[in-house]
Amino acid sequence: MPALLELQRAFAASMLHEEDDAVCGAVVDDGFAAAERLRIYRNTCRSTLIEALCMTYPAVERLVGRDFFDMAASRYAGAHPPQSGYLNEYGGEFPEFLAAFEPASELTYLADVARFEWALGVAANAADAPVLDPLTLAAVDPQDHAALRFEPHPSVSFLSLAYPADQIADAVLAGDEAAIAQVDLSSGPVRLVVHRGPDGIAAERLEPGAYEFVSRLCAGEVLGRLLESAPADAPLLLAAQLRKGRLTACRS
Amino acid sequence: MIPAAAGIGLRFPHHRAVLEERPAVAWLEVHAENYMGGGKPLMVLDAIRRDYPVALHGVGLSLGSADGLNERHLARLRNLAQRVDPGLVSEHLSWSATGGAHFADLLPLPFTEEALSIVCRNVEAAQESLGRRILVENASSYLRYRHSPIPEWEFVAALAERTGCGILCDVNNVFVSACNHGFDPRRYLHALLAERVSEIHLAGHQVRKFEDGRSIRIDDHGSRVSHEVWALYAEALALFGRVPTLIEWDTDVPPLAVLLDEAAQAQCLMSEERKHARLA
Repeated sequence: MPALLELQRAFAASMLHEEDDAVCGAVVDDGFAAAERLRIYRNTCRSTLIEALCMTYPAVERLVGRDFFDMAASRYAGAHPPQSGYLNEYGGEFPEFLAAFEPASELTYLADVARFEWALGVAANAADAPVLDPLTLAAVDPQDHAALRFEPHPSVSFLSLAYPADQIADAVLAGDEAAIAQVDLSSGPVRLVVHRGPDGIAAERLEPGAYEFVSRLCAGEVLGRLLESAPADAPLLLAAQLRKGRLTACRS
Repeated sequence: MIPAAAGIGLRFPHHRAVLEERPAVAWLEVHAENYMGGGKPLMVLDAIRRDYPVALHGVGLSLGSADGLNERHLARLRNLAQRVDPGLVSEHLSWSATGGAHFADLLPLPFTEEALSIVCRNVEAAQESLGRRILVENASSYLRYRHSPIPEWEFVAALAERTGCGILCDVNNVFVSACNHGFDPRRYLHALLAERVSEIHLAGHQVRKFEDGRSIRIDDHGSRVSHEVWALYAEALALFGRVPTLIEWDTDVPPLAVLLDEAAQAQCLMSEERKHARLA
């Protein structure tokens, strides 16, 4: 008679790796063999996780097709089960998994598209937070400005990608053949800031200088040091971050 | 406060219809895990909560884990419950997580004294953290363990007795498990203390037939409530009295009107039951 903990660990081996031996002996097999009964649970669990991944990575699914996606997602689910029952946070390692996934190695841009979609998902599910009122900033004594640090909205993330993943994802999800044809995989790296604002989830491309400034601003770097190496339009960039609701607080 | 009337499980495909049409349904239940982030889903829930009694139904806490509860998940549930102020909070008599891995399904427990004390401990921890009584729902199952000496209905009754939790009696699950494991579903219902049953769930299931003639019932929430389950529900009402009753539909979700129609049928049986109770 296995203790519950032991039984659950044995059941886990069946769910993750189709290793039924340890748990089969504990299961009644009348009418259906223990392995058949376990398969019902494994299939339900697997299809729930594949569905969750497909919701997060719809452009990846379009690019590779449903059968290939299911195969890759199933392999991923066996190696990376969720860590909690909150499935919105499931699938964060899928981009790196795809990057190393041999059968997809010809699609060099696939992992970047997945990284982009993960950032969109993070933005969608992030906690709510009040945005920083520009008036709060206006009330700060100008001589204290150099000591200010900013906090980003929980939905903000930054992506520096080798391929134009935002353009690829938009084109394939729209099913727009002309837009897909226009994608130039050799157009060079793209730098993106993704966040959820009052109007929804948005991804904005930034030039290298602006990307460096905004990402360091959102990492909480002190404003004085940031301005030492900032682009000329830094004040406008800061104002834009406030206007778009990417900042929630400032402190000195 | 959830009224002793028929409600429906609210899923994403019906958000817009419920917001725009405000259908006449007594109450709504949502899966807690769908609202643990911020943004639009939570805004919709806030808006709906202003006009309807809402119950929170968790699917990811894993009350049967020998490892204990996931504290982060419990904290998320607590935060949501504080925000929504739901009429009822419920979870399942099953397990989903072990060794840090979560399986996204309601897995069966062996009904042993050891499992009972583990589930009791987890239910008590959840109730203490949430600062309220929870309801625990019987899950449907497709396997039994060789060592499972306590009948499921006695296990459920003992859990309620020891922890003070309420029972969410899923009549469809009782029926599905009864068919799959060959017990009398009425015996299950009779074993539950009526005053402990605070909610009933109803849903459709499918009969999966194999080429060799064998079949097994799968609780897929993908069709109307079966005739046999309606009949069993009428018996449940006779035993438990009028209890808040929920229609669930999760696979191939039909238009909202179909769920409302199912809820109307449950409401109708509840009214019948009240007439019988008066005559008796």
